[in-house]
Amino acid sequence: MTKERLLQCLGSTLWPSFLAAAVASVVFFAAIDPETLRVQTFPGLELSRMAGYTIGFFMFWAVGLFASGLTYVLSGGGNRRHE
Amino acid sequence: MSKGDDKVDLDVGMYAAREKIHPREVDGTFQRLRHLAVIVLLGIYYGLPWITWDGRQAVLFDLPARQFHIFALTFWPQDFVYLAVLLIIAALSLFFFTALAGRMWCGYACPQTVWTELFMWIERWTEGKRQQRLKLDKAPWSINKLLRRGSKHVLWVVLALYTGFTFVGYFTPIRELSVSVASFGLGPWETFWLLFYAFATWGNAGFLREQVCIYMCPYARFQSAMFDPNSLIISYDEKRGEPRGGRSRNIDHRAQGWGDCIDCNLCVQACPTGIDIRKGLQYECIACAACIDACNGVMDKMNYPRGLIRYTTDNAMEDKPSRILRPRILVYGVLLLALMSGTVYSLTQRTPLAMEVLADRNVLYRDVDFETVENVYTVRILNKDREARDYVLTVDGLPDAEVVTRPEHIRVDAGRTSQVTASVRVPRDEARGTGHTIEFRLTATDEADIARTSTARFHGPREE
Ligand code: SF4
Ligand code: SF4
Repeated sequence: MTKERLLQCLGSTLWPSFLAAAVASVVFFAAIDPETLRVQTFPGLELSRMAGYTIGFFMFWAVGLFASGLTYVLSGGGNRRHE
Repeated sequence: MSKGDDKVDLDVGMYAAREKIHPREVDGTFQRLRHLAVIVLLGIYYGLPWITWDGRQAVLFDLPARQFHIFALTFWPQDFVYLAVLLIIAALSLFFFTALAGRMWCGYACPQTVWTELFMWIERWTEGKRQQRLKLDKAPWSINKLLRRGSKHVLWVVLALYTGFTFVGYFTPIRELSVSVASFGLGPWETFWLLFYAFATWGNAGFLREQVCIYMCPYARFQSAMFDPNSLIISYDEKRGEPRGGRSRNIDHRAQGWGDCIDCNLCVQACPTGIDIRKGLQYECIACAACIDACNGVMDKMNYPRGLIRYTTDNAMEDKPSRILRPRILVYGVLLLALMSGTVYSLTQRTPLAMEVLADRNVLYRDVDFETVENVYTVRILNKDREARDYVLTVDGLPDAEVVTRPEHIRVDAGRTSQVTASVRVPRDEARGTGHTIEFRLTATDEADIARTSTARFHGPREE
């Protein structure tokens, strides 16, 4: 049953964090232009808006994944057998 | 692998240890309805980006320019509130329809279901019906198997890539995109998102399928909170069906003590999530109604009345009356209606113009001559309209105040911002003291309706 568990683990970490990242990106980038962020942080860096959005999205995803992963481990998901 | 787990997995890969589900194809009213829904929804998805409106792609989420075009409407980051309202409307509709009609969304409209259906059509077309597919799974590798499997995977990949391409086409003008694809000139980010979406489609619709619904879907887990005994669900009529068992078509089964279920298992074979609806409502059930159609077919053959499995409510099953109008439905419905009409109203009232006024921070005020003092402001104008316009700025709030901009008629192209310096001049005697409130008014020269106001502070010399 390891595969089923792996799938459940992935399903309950990757996916919720993906959803959260999608919502967070939409809200965040609707209010903030990645171009302004770039100018204020790394003005020397050549980054298009598309690159900004993509990096932002993956940052949100990574943060969400971290939280989901911890929740999964702490709530015993790693040990419980799924049926 | 745990000890004693000596069963050989038929499926190789990380997605599941369970045997692959090969749902039996059924025909019936609900399956036809679902196919119709699939065709309409996919038609919209694949077709929409190709429609042009007013010389530009009708639906385009132009992220690089930070503008969303939806037919005649253009949204800016300033219109964020509409996005928030849209999300609330979407959530409320989900509550509303779930309370009313159960998991209609899952069976008929969820992208997961819709694309899975499409991928299954390909599977059926290349590998045959359920029995043939089961046989093919067990068969040793042969030219025939290779050809069938191979063509299925090729078609899947092509379709997934095209789906990814269409997805990116909502963000980059799709006609330009197809030119870049054809000339291998796709930008890195577009390539990335195309492949990302294609991969997700391919994996979810080709392999994960019902497991997305079972393991990954949050909606499946909290749906029970939205159900009540009056919600429409798919249910097996236990009272009528039991005791189940095989029998000949010609006997009077009632007289022999049988229920209507002949235990043919067709409902189980038809189920894309592999459950037995006769065990009661389970969260795995996506309400696709395949079991209804399968069982109705059986009932017809047996000359029993249809509807042993049917759309019904818990109340109806217990011979209580079902009510459609109930507080929950009314509250959701009224809220939805109010939000939607409010949005439509405010959309029609939208002024396609925005203005921002910033006072010059370096000097409080300047003496123009002995009689007049001046404050200087930077005015940013955003023309949200689809055509270029001229605007004039006027000011109000202090007697005899006048504003000078250069040029007097400020021209701003469609969808552009422009910045002008505005000097407000006020007679010295009227301007004494700091912090007078003045109001700027920006009006389009050709349409007085298009106007915006904004307040600012005016500072004069100290009182004498
Ligand atoms: S399809 Fe109908 S008759 Fe056949 S097993 Fe299912 S419920 Fe019973
Ligand atoms: S139990 Fe019936 S309605 Fe539910 S998923 Fe299976 S076939 Fe579809």
